[in-house]
Amino acid sequence: MKTIPAKIEAQGKWISAKIEIDETTIYLPEPVDTQILLKSIDDVQQRKNIITISVAEQNYRIATVPKALVILKRVILMGCSGYRLMAYFMSPAIRGGVMVSDAEWEKGAVTVLTSGIWFVSQKHQICIPIADVSGIEQTQREIQGTEKNVVKIDHVENGDVSTSFVLCPSTTLQVLYNYLTDATKGSSLDGELDPLSSQVAMLVYSGMDSHSIEGMLEKSQREIDAIYDRMLGLGLVEVVQTRREVKLTTKGVRFVTEAVKPPTPQ
Amino acid sequence: MGRILVVDDTLFMRTLLKNILFSGNHDIVGEAENGEDAVEKYTSLQPDLVTMDIVMPKKNGIEALKEIMAINPKAKVIMCTAVGQEQMVKLAIKTGAKGYIVKPFQAPKVIEEINSVLKS
Repeated sequence: MKTIPAKIEAQGKWISAKIEIDETTIYLPEPVDTQILLKSIDDVQQRKNIITISVAEQNYRIATVPKALVILKRVILMGCSGYRLMAYFMSPAIRGGVMVSDAEWEKGAVTVLTSGIWFVSQKHQICIPIADVSGIEQTQREIQGTEKNVVKIDHVENGDVSTSFVLCPSTTLQVLYNYLTDATKGSSLDGELDPLSSQVAMLVYSGMDSHSIEGMLEKSQREIDAIYDRMLGLGLVEVVQTRREVKLTTKGVRFVTEAVKPPTPQ
Repeated sequence: MGRILVVDDTLFMRTLLKNILFSGNHDIVGEAENGEDAVEKYTSLQPDLVTMDIVMPKKNGIEALKEIMAINPKAKVIMCTAVGQEQMVKLAIKTGAKGYIVKPFQAPKVIEEINSVLKS
């Protein structure tokens, strides 16, 4: 049994408390006064130094210092109800198309919960929110000289598109892949994109603005707008800025006409 | 700012890379659509850096890299690859490539990588 000094939220207020936790149970003292079986925890979410644990419809929020949070999360993630397996992971391995130079395989656990995929090792506790997962794929990667099957997870991380890999025995790899595919099916594309729209999607991914895209593909603003509309309809993009086109008023025309006149000699 | 040769067999990827590099204040001194063309242009243009696709017709990126390294052992070449081509990447690094980027890529990260290789 470990005792962790923390603050727990009760009726909108943060109360200092000593949480007790062991491999099966977490006890939140007065005024919450609740004993939670770890295997009944459906979800764990973290924002800064606060974790929210969800049991059925009930959420419990706990705040503590980073060092204690690491211990708390490790025990919860190893005991909660999500799909869990021991595996090697590398996260992130690629960021924005560039290999992360110090990325390495870490031995630990992968826990898939309702809102996120957690990687837990001795060194790190990394969460990829399910909402940020853009692709799940089974692929091969060379590890210590041999090609091994891995699951590749593409995800958005602070605006960068990143890729993480999970390596586990082939018997569980397929199960993990199926589980992740099912957990993230909400972000799959229903339907197909024509080649031009796919190129536009690729350019948006690369960070090109609308003006550059028009120039690169030699298309008018109207044509690109029509493609954006299709992509909006498919839920592939969201509008971040609306461009304006203007024409001069009579006052504006007069200003320009005056501005280009040569100065009158004194 | 660097003088860069862009090598890729698809016009779309060449144009995309050129735009990204241009936005990073680099000069595009030339482009090539296969390995053979890349070696010729490298010799004539002597760029500071080459972005080299791996899978290309006539002569692939690895063969072109080998020839460029034979011409100039200090050549700075960054390979462009798709995920799943790790074997090729390993070979490229052994052959002398200074870095690699994975398609699809994001402009700021590509510029960062290119600037870092140019400075090295």
